[in-house]
Amino acid sequence: MAPPLLQSKYRVPGHRPGTVTRPRLVEALAAALRTAVTVVSAPAGFGKSTLLAEWLADLPADTATVGWVSLDKRDDDPARFWGYVLAAFRAATGVGDDALGLLASSPSSPETALVALLNDIGRMPRDLVLVLDDLHLVTSPAVHDGIAFLLEHRVDQLHLVLATRADPPLPLARWRARGELLEIRAADLRFTEQESAAYLNGPMGLSLSKHDVATLDGRAEGWIAALQLAALSMRGREDVGTFIAGFAGDDRHVVDYLAEEVLARQPEEVRGFLLETSILERLTGPLCDAVTGREGGRARLVDLERANLFLVPLDDRRQWYRYHHLFAEVLRTHLVDERADTVPELHRRACVWFTERGDTAAAVEHALAGGHVDRAADLMERAMPAMQRERREAELGRWVRSLPDEIVRVRPVLGMAFVGALAQTSEFDTLEQRLAEVERAVRPDGGAWPARVPPGLVVVDEDGYRSVPAGLEVYRAALALRRGDLDAAAAHAREGLALTPASDDLTRAAAGALGGLASWSRGDLVGAEAAYVESVAGLHRARFVADVLGCCIALGDIRRTLGRLGDAERLYRWALGLSDPAAPLRGAADMHVALAGALIERDELTAAAEHLDTARRLGAHRGLPQNPYRSRVAQARLLGIRGDLDGALALLEEAERVHDGDYSPEVAPVPAVRARLRVRRGELPQAEAWARERGLSPGDEPTYLREYEHITLARLLLARRDDTAPALLARLLAAAEDGARAGSVLEILVLQALAAQARGDVPSALEALRRAVALAEAEGVVRVVADEGPPIAALLRTLPKHDPAHAYGRRLLAACAGVTPGPALVDPLSDRELDVLRLLGSDLDGPDIARELSVSLNTMRTHTKSIYAKLGVTSRRAAVRRAHDLGVLPRRR
Amino acid sequence: MSSTGPQRYAIRVRGHLASRWASRFDGMALVPQDDGSTVIDGPVADQSALHGLLRTISDLGLPLVSVTPSDGPAHLSRRTP
Repeated sequence: MAPPLLQSKYRVPGHRPGTVTRPRLVEALAAALRTAVTVVSAPAGFGKSTLLAEWLADLPADTATVGWVSLDKRDDDPARFWGYVLAAFRAATGVGDDALGLLASSPSSPETALVALLNDIGRMPRDLVLVLDDLHLVTSPAVHDGIAFLLEHRVDQLHLVLATRADPPLPLARWRARGELLEIRAADLRFTEQESAAYLNGPMGLSLSKHDVATLDGRAEGWIAALQLAALSMRGREDVGTFIAGFAGDDRHVVDYLAEEVLARQPEEVRGFLLETSILERLTGPLCDAVTGREGGRARLVDLERANLFLVPLDDRRQWYRYHHLFAEVLRTHLVDERADTVPELHRRACVWFTERGDTAAAVEHALAGGHVDRAADLMERAMPAMQRERREAELGRWVRSLPDEIVRVRPVLGMAFVGALAQTSEFDTLEQRLAEVERAVRPDGGAWPARVPPGLVVVDEDGYRSVPAGLEVYRAALALRRGDLDAAAAHAREGLALTPASDDLTRAAAGALGGLASWSRGDLVGAEAAYVESVAGLHRARFVADVLGCCIALGDIRRTLGRLGDAERLYRWALGLSDPAAPLRGAADMHVALAGALIERDELTAAAEHLDTARRLGAHRGLPQNPYRSRVAQARLLGIRGDLDGALALLEEAERVHDGDYSPEVAPVPAVRARLRVRRGELPQAEAWARERGLSPGDEPTYLREYEHITLARLLLARRDDTAPALLARLLAAAEDGARAGSVLEILVLQALAAQARGDVPSALEALRRAVALAEAEGVVRVVADEGPPIAALLRTLPKHDPAHAYGRRLLAACAGVTPGPALVDPLSDRELDVLRLLGSDLDGPDIARELSVSLNTMRTHTKSIYAKLGVTSRRAAVRRAHDLGVLPRRR
Repeated sequence: MSSTGPQRYAIRVRGHLASRWASRFDGMALVPQDDGSTVIDGPVADQSALHGLLRTISDLGLPLVSVTPSDGPAHLSRRTP
């Protein structure tokens, strides 16, 4: 797109020469700086833009900063619309890169960018007047929702001015009732007789009597465009009186009548130029030359502007213009009436000119308007890769829908664009049909995909053609996922990855993400990991950075479950490095939260807390949909470790309220996280209620999707000293080992150790503990072990010095909750001594204890003395208390 | 929502229109009325086509008087030349 054209979209128009000043309306507009919204609503030709330009030109520079967007019908798309609004804001203020970056990274959800915009406006020392001109050209509800969002979250400095021919579908009545709406309507905008006189006898250089002015004003009903046309018709006319009488006595639509008068008075070459160039929405000299086939377009445009022939300059350098809307309508009607047969050729010439200039959008529009559908289809197909890269799929979809069906059916590449459009509007039945049709067209016999384009089909983008088979599989994977058929989804995605040409990053990314999601939900984490890696790589090469961050949440979760904490942490740090700290992307907050989660696992709690703070400071708009709940769960974990169980519980309740899984499988449901905290607080009835509600029972067959819940259930059973816990844990362990989920294996082993310890099976407890410590040590994991506190500490202490697990066991011991790390027992208790100590904590007397352990009373006494010595105590009660303090014995409930 | 094919509409606007404007209204008849208004009459495919017509009327700055379902052009009083 040509830069001057782009800039002209947000140029604040200067005061137009040849217009009359309107102090009464400028005064009324002063109130716009005290209200949230100003609506200037009137039909075409009522001087809306001219009035706003006059008001803003007179506004003292220190009053407010002005942003202006001239909308056209192509802006009926949220990404494009807000792109121009943000560009206008940046042009006006010099800030706003942040919001533009957010919009570019997630064009489909502009709210995040709007929050950044509001933050920027809120920091401005002065007010901001933001004018949206010709808002009636925008009809998309998504855009109106965005405007309403901006106003619902408005900051005091923002004053929105909407110029439109039709009232926008916004809550005007509500704002009116709140006194936050200023309205300038047709009745206000009509020229009064005085204004008509000032205009006709002033800038238009006529000298009409009061009576003539009254007649004209009455016939035109103060409609400015009509008065302007009338003035043009009268200039240089001898018989002004006859003209006025003829006009007043005619029933014709005023613009129809007057425009014909004006046109009839132009020399033939001017008239021809006006008619032929009326097909153009925007005019510039070389373009006019191309369309008319004659030289001198630029000089002609300058002449027309000087003659006040409804030519509106779009930039200060007089390069681009447009006709006044109303006049353009009249010109086009005359063109079609008089020279209908030339119209397709005029559009073809405009199309060629825009194609050469690289403005595909304008070229496509002219091709379609001129009925050159094949040319339009060629242009679309060539533009597809760039449009997909620029996230303009919505626009592409609208284009393809405007083509006749028979054109799309013989073009498999465009057929895929059409399928994309159907996906966006959720027309899945039609989508499935079109997929089948594209496939039948390319390989009617269902054999191998033909490398050459089969006869009868049209392909201009060869690369696009090579991506068709993979694209088909990707959409089939998406459809299968939607049906809940995970096996089929994973299979189609795998096939899609296999068929994707090496250069097609976006198809690779889509196939990877869909396959990853399907495999993850099936519990195939190894397959899911591999698929997401492909997806992240494809997205990264395609520079879809915000999507990379979104994918990394899933990939990190999967790696952690696979027991690859180090890989997960490296991934988060790499992803954070992709986001510029000066203008962080949406998703940066999620990466900080994920990193905090990994650091908590390593017991690096201070660093974790810093990352959670950073995420908070980045603001809610820098978080993806899952972030509100995930950040709270991470914070709750941190509070729990620090002993603030009430605070943790409150945060988890909040997390449940703000939960949004964003289509990810719910592998660690917040209610289960909460149930674990209940168990830890000893609130077993609440945890039991949760288990009942979730229909969990110790006899369930373990599945990956319920693994977290089942482990939670096992924790509950352990706390209840329920003897079904060991069997459940054994089955969970087998399932986790089967799925290579080393992260889950570690947690289950810890619980097995505790279960064995509780039933006095020390050898089994130590065996499970040794395996757990080895797994933890490999990845530097601390908390999943240390969170178990005194019971696990007691076991860790029994690891002998020569044991391979001893060294890392000491590290874990140091981190155990509620346990003073030093001074540990210099001389650890033996297994037998531990047995005796445990019974010393019971109500049994000496002889009973001896009997229980099948030893003599003397042997029992020897053990007791040794225990007293090692613990540095002299009584049975002190021994038990000291053992509890050291975590050698579990605390009694 | 109607499923019975195109419905006929008579759209009345203020002012007379030269017949060349018929091309802008998709071949509908422009019938000038004695009271200085014009009735744009003809079949309209569906609601979105009707809104498209109303938008054209707005683009041309024609003051809209009424939109009514119509039985056909017969009942409209054609101005005698």
